[in-house]
Amino acid sequence: MALGEKAILRASQWCYQGVWGIATKWFHVPEEPPHIQGADDFSVRSFRPSEGYLRYLKLFFWIGLAAIDIVLTIAWLVVLIAMPIVGIIIAPLAWAVIILPDIVAYIAIHLRYDTTWYVLSDRSMRIRRGIWTIHETTITYENIQNVAVRQGPVQRYFGIADVLVETAGGGATTGGETGTIVGHFGLLEGISNAEEVRSLILAKWGESRSAGIGDDLSAHEILGKTHAVASGLTAGQWSAEQVLLLENIRDLAVKLATAV
Amino acid sequence: MSATTATGLESKFDAFKLERPDPKLFQYYLWCALLTGPLSPIVLLSFWFRYSTLRFKFDDTGVAMSWGVLFKQEVYLTYRRIQDIHLTRNLLQRWMGLAKISLQTASGSSKAEMSIEGVLQAEELRDFLYSRMRGAKDESSSTMRAPTDHGVAEHIAAAGNERATRALEEIRDALKTLVEKRGV
Repeated sequence: MALGEKAILRASQWCYQGVWGIATKWFHVPEEPPHIQGADDFSVRSFRPSEGYLRYLKLFFWIGLAAIDIVLTIAWLVVLIAMPIVGIIIAPLAWAVIILPDIVAYIAIHLRYDTTWYVLSDRSMRIRRGIWTIHETTITYENIQNVAVRQGPVQRYFGIADVLVETAGGGATTGGETGTIVGHFGLLEGISNAEEVRSLILAKWGESRSAGIGDDLSAHEILGKTHAVASGLTAGQWSAEQVLLLENIRDLAVKLATAV
Repeated sequence: MSATTATGLESKFDAFKLERPDPKLFQYYLWCALLTGPLSPIVLLSFWFRYSTLRFKFDDTGVAMSWGVLFKQEVYLTYRRIQDIHLTRNLLQRWMGLAKISLQTASGSSKAEMSIEGVLQAEELRDFLYSRMRGAKDESSSTMRAPTDHGVAEHIAAAGNERATRALEEIRDALKTLVEKRGV
């Protein structure tokens, strides 16, 4: 019994590795987490959703599977009883319809889990998700407007939560589905360290003084400017271009004066 | 092999030189148009218009993109006002080495303000944009330098002042002669 289970596990792992190999080789699915340029490697943390998220997805998978397959099986049994010959003829087709989508869905869940990456650096976060369409979102902490941690009862049971990070701007934030939604948000689904992520962003907010909507001057720049004014530097400062311009005007004026 | 070509491209990458999308983008559009079936001639025509008129212009402060034949569009946005950067690659785009970079500002729609398509070095371009985004760099390091440069700045300012004063005086004199000659 235990031996059989182990064999099945090994076989399914082997199959899955094959699928994964095809995905990376032929479908150009990247294996490594995304890299954030300019961030120092010590502060960068790359992680996938927690293991609990995989179990969470599988729970819904089993519920859906049970519901659909029971209906399909009953339908097939009805046909078998009513018209035994037709029932036997369509049996392979019926069972293929019942079983194949389940296998595909099961593999898809694993692929979805394995292609999801969350990368947090000291300045920004990058979220990658998707199999057919690989979607990478980059958001700097400076631009984040609010952070929401969401946890439903089932998620609580699996010890996971979603962190929704929003930037300024409107639009749909109902996201959660993989796909082409491009909104003003980043979603970290099914992570076990939601509180940690939230406090990291809160800490970054503590350091920043801007309102997070593209202020052109940082606090330091304003400070630098006032400093320069205070020392009387800007009052009599001519830039090289200004001097050149003035000299051009002079030349023209001189020419005009001599011509008249 | 692919790794060496990738690094080769990386060293050559210069966003300021980007003006036109890569011809591969049109190939991609061609496939997309074919997928629409009977509508493909119309779709292809609109794609062709878009491809043939698509222009980029990256400068120090922002990026401009324009396209369109009948209805011309030009979008300009500054790097510092970018809220989030999205890099998306679907299967077809991955096979062709293409990607789409969607840039969002703090506007009211969830649609991207600018979608840059047809750049082969999309990751490099993304890094280029990211490094100019607000909060991607420590802003204090470059701006806090001002006080330490005081001495030098003062020196330059003094020299510039002297030249400027001289130029102004000469303008005044020239204008004075002009006025006198005219007999006003």
